[in-house]
Amino acid sequence: MKRSLPGRSGKIIGAIMLKDLRLYGRNKIYVVLTVLTLACFGALFWLIPGTVEETITLAISPPLQTIINEGKEALRELGASAEMLQELEQTEFAEEGLELVGLESAAQLRRAVEGTLEVYRPKGGGDLILRDKAAGEKKPKDAQRVQLDIGIAFPDSFIAGVAGREKTTVTVYANADVPEEIRQAMQSFVREIAYQLAGRELPVELPAEETIILGPDRSGAQASMRDKMRPLLAFFALVLETYAMASLISTELLQRTVTALLVTPMKMWHFLAAKTLFGTGLALLQGLTILVLVGAFTPANWLLLLTIMLLGSLLFTGVAMLIGAAGKDFLDQLIYALLFSVPLMIPAFAVLFPGTAAAWVRVIPSYPIAELLANTTIYGSSWRDSLGLLGYALLWGAVLYAMSLLVLKRKVESL
Amino acid sequence: MAEPAISVKNLSYWYGDLQAVKNISFEVFPGEILGFLGPNGAGKSTTIKVLTGLLAPGSGSAQILGRDIGRDDPALQAQIGVCFEEKNLYLEMSALENLNFYASLFGIRKPSSMELLLRVGLADRAGERVRNFSKGMRQRLMIARAFINKPAVLFLDEPTDGLDPVTAAAIRRTIREEADRGAAILLTTHNMMEADELSDRVAFINEGKIVALDSAENLKLKYGRRAVRVRLRRSDGGVREEHIPLDGERASERLAELAASPDLLTIHTEEATLESIFIQLTGRGLEG
Repeated sequence: MKRSLPGRSGKIIGAIMLKDLRLYGRNKIYVVLTVLTLACFGALFWLIPGTVEETITLAISPPLQTIINEGKEALRELGASAEMLQELEQTEFAEEGLELVGLESAAQLRRAVEGTLEVYRPKGGGDLILRDKAAGEKKPKDAQRVQLDIGIAFPDSFIAGVAGREKTTVTVYANADVPEEIRQAMQSFVREIAYQLAGRELPVELPAEETIILGPDRSGAQASMRDKMRPLLAFFALVLETYAMASLISTELLQRTVTALLVTPMKMWHFLAAKTLFGTGLALLQGLTILVLVGAFTPANWLLLLTIMLLGSLLFTGVAMLIGAAGKDFLDQLIYALLFSVPLMIPAFAVLFPGTAAAWVRVIPSYPIAELLANTTIYGSSWRDSLGLLGYALLWGAVLYAMSLLVLKRKVESL
Repeated sequence: MAEPAISVKNLSYWYGDLQAVKNISFEVFPGEILGFLGPNGAGKSTTIKVLTGLLAPGSGSAQILGRDIGRDDPALQAQIGVCFEEKNLYLEMSALENLNFYASLFGIRKPSSMELLLRVGLADRAGERVRNFSKGMRQRLMIARAFINKPAVLFLDEPTDGLDPVTAAAIRRTIREEADRGAAILLTTHNMMEADELSDRVAFINEGKIVALDSAENLKLKYGRRAVRVRLRRSDGGVREEHIPLDGERASERLAELAASPDLLTIHTEEATLESIFIQLTGRGLEG
């Protein structure tokens, strides 16, 4: 009798993997889940907006030109110099990233922000078209709706009042969805306009401002929601594959088919190696398919992305083996799957908002994978940028995988 | 005499504090079927798990085909076949796929899967998924799987448990064919009839200990009573029975008298059953 040779081990591992592939293919739940994941994720990605609206549209009443014209009259009466009037004429109220939409009255503005009065801009240019929905007016043709979520209503005598140092009230209308930060910014904006119109500097010495952008300045080229979904979808594909792999392993244990394997020339390490290769391969294939579908690969990042996905697949295979070994029945397995996968998904959401991940999130094993995927697919990180996180991911992957091997081995031996 | 295919010396196994197998020793020779007869929980399956390498022996030693038992000996495991009590088959694979998969683990390039399925009467269901099989069909497939590598040593754990008499008889025939081929077979059962019919020797195992080991014939002779039961017609037209121990005094004289009697109806020998011997030795039945 000849002892087992390396080639023989390869054939045994290959036979187990082929068997697992056959069983995977015959499980309708796995197949449907895989096809649905690929189809839905692919479709979802292309349906999500691929551009970022960086301009804030602000309603203003009365229209800016009206305010200026009335202001000029009032200032002239107050004895303002021709130079000052010319300065007012040339003042740029709109700032970069801010579009002003002028409405005739405060009442119109309020209804526009409420959404009961729709504002349209003709595609060919020209005056704004207002549509009163409540009055049953029809939607105008060849016009694009202007979404107005915040607006500022100036009183008729705003400039005269400000210039005359009278108490003047400006009302800021904001849709309930507008974040507090934007509302506060608008209040500051009103104050600034008031100072400009009053022809006075602020009564303080302002410090010199300097903004330093760390990393590439993405102003005008912000990551769109679609861009941000790229790493998220690939990450979720890995998580979903964990369920399928865990189910395959637990079925092998619950039906005790593994016991029948262990009385053949198959050794325990053959079994563990086959499960590792099959699980990693399956997760990697699905994750890579998603990344291809969402166009994440570039000539510059493909090898780095492949490495990240390989590490991620290994990590999630380890998790699958832990779940598969832990469950005594289907319900047990489901509970363990949720217990493991929910915390592992947290970093995927956290990395979508750079700098917001709390310290404890960085300790979650899946954090480096999520961060690496985001950095590479969204921000174009290089190998050099990624080395630290790759090491961290490798460490977590190795720890989880070693743990899962130990747990699965003990479980099989206890059958 | 041939070398034993299975040789067990003072083997013990503990589940924690519970000693499931207590210092047992026995041998099984090529072509021999050794029936391990005992009730549930007697230690039969544990013995098989230790001998097939699934459990490490607590103490003592065991050799199969001259090699020490253990899980990490693929060369040894290539020579054994095991039929487990639980039907651990891949339900979503066909009968043929199950056999071919196991054959591939043994490195068999051209497995005789169809031939085996024919032997166990499943050839016409070869391509059907095992999920659709009845309990009897699954058991027959388990037997076929145990034979896939033409093993020199076979461990069969309750191979006919819960089967209908026809299927059970068919499986027993197949087991006998394997023994005739030269395989050493360790058969565990709590079916006294099966042990009597199939086994060349029988080991009674109770609470982890072997309490008797010999051929069924010798056990019956050793532990059974030699007696005859004679039925005679009474003068009133009824029937009476007389029990005559053969080892008793005047047994031959009394038998001669009765044989000459015109009232003699029948004479039957009274033979002990394995079950009655087991009860005699252990104080409990086999179904316990």
